[in-house]
Amino acid sequence: MPLMLPTIVRNLFGGPATRLYPFQVRDSFARARGHVEFDDNKCTLCGNCARRCPAAAIEINKEKKELTFFPARCIICEVCAEACRRDAITVEVKWRSPFYTKPVEVHQPKGKEKAS
Amino acid sequence: MAPRTIAPFGPQHPVLPEPIQLKITYEDEKVVDVLPAIGYGHRGIEKACELNEYPKNIYLCERICGICSCIHGITYCEVVERLWPVEIPPRAKFLRTIWSEMSRTHSHLLWLGLLADAFGFESMFMQFWRIREKVLDLLEMTAGQRVTQSISVIGGVRRDLNGEQKKKCIEVLKEVRKESEALIGVLANDYTVKARTVGKGVLSKDQAIALGCAGPTLRASGVCEDCRMQKYQAYGDLEFEPIVETAGDSYARAVVRARETLQAIDLQLEALGKLPAGDINVSVKGNPPANEAIFRSEQPRGEVFYYAKGNGTRNLERLRVRTPTYANIPSLLVMLPGCELADVPIIALSIDPCISCTER
Repeated sequence: MPLMLPTIVRNLFGGPATRLYPFQVRDSFARARGHVEFDDNKCTLCGNCARRCPAAAIEINKEKKELTFFPARCIICEVCAEACRRDAITVEVKWRSPFYTKPVEVHQPKGKEKAS
Repeated sequence: MAPRTIAPFGPQHPVLPEPIQLKITYEDEKVVDVLPAIGYGHRGIEKACELNEYPKNIYLCERICGICSCIHGITYCEVVERLWPVEIPPRAKFLRTIWSEMSRTHSHLLWLGLLADAFGFESMFMQFWRIREKVLDLLEMTAGQRVTQSISVIGGVRRDLNGEQKKKCIEVLKEVRKESEALIGVLANDYTVKARTVGKGVLSKDQAIALGCAGPTLRASGVCEDCRMQKYQAYGDLEFEPIVETAGDSYARAVVRARETLQAIDLQLEALGKLPAGDINVSVKGNPPANEAIFRSEQPRGEVFYYAKGNGTRNLERLRVRTPTYANIPSLLVMLPGCELADVPIIALSIDPCISCTER
């Protein structure tokens, strides 16, 4: 215990090590992986993201022209954003707030394939 | 003769972060026999890997364990790269080493805190975890997340370190080293710590070898064995000497981990200083040929062994993972008999049990 005294004294006068959350929120790091956002204007329903998603969190229905995203399955690995050729998927730094029921996001993208 | 009693230690116990049961037979307060029982956390990840595609398995393997997730992901990538085989760029090797050592630092700081908590030194526990937060922040800043970093891909790494991040890493790591050093000094010299750990759970060198122990448990018994001696990734370019203690008791195991924490920080600083320029990954397309490969790497808890067998399709035919805690659990059969019942938590914790790794 005597050996611990300097640390104890330092902590006594050093102020708190924690923040008054939620009033004081730490800034996120610039490249932190928080949550995934879809841009319906850019997405062309090519399906690259759904094929590569390791958690099967994205489903594409080309007939209905719908992209369904399951945020509760998402592991925020950023693979979808890397796979997207249209930059329609971005990974935001802020975390989603916890949810009581599993949400389902249905997107109806309006992006068009470039004429080849 | 005193009556014998059998008491279950776990699967839910304050010192155990994960479920394992030790059926302890004791007479008065002396332990005479112990029977470990595992199987509470099996998730069938090896089988799931066979049904999954190669790149998707990285994220699955990372979830074998929360603390060593980074090294699991890297080791999986290394073994799959050997199926082709693919040579990754030198910068990627260095970055893998830096992230591996960063995860070793936070794992050892976590364990040192847990040890302090196990013998009732609450303030030391808080101090170790307070330092660990800085390392987790570094991981979030460089890799994107605190625990499951997902930085490794087949053929290299996904993220690079820019100049500003490198500078920040060096600055924080020096701070962490200074603070850890002071706290480790307390851990190594405080008489209350010594009273609870010295001479508890002694594992001799011969027993450690015979039982096939791994990692700091093995090195604390005087065996100089560390996978990093194979000079994989960037370890060949760094100054690395395994840390060995000879006493074989809980104190020696704590000292090995404490010294390894400082060594891991030194390795990161050295690797950051020597970080070569160049690409961070090579493009790997298609499926690997029908081939088999093995790879061993050093996790915070010891040697992790991956065996992969490909069959030319987009799925693995077999993936086998051998984790260090599975090798270290038998040592409890030698360490625990003869000890006092009150020492069981510290001795059980001294092997740094990671049950999610063990059962997968």
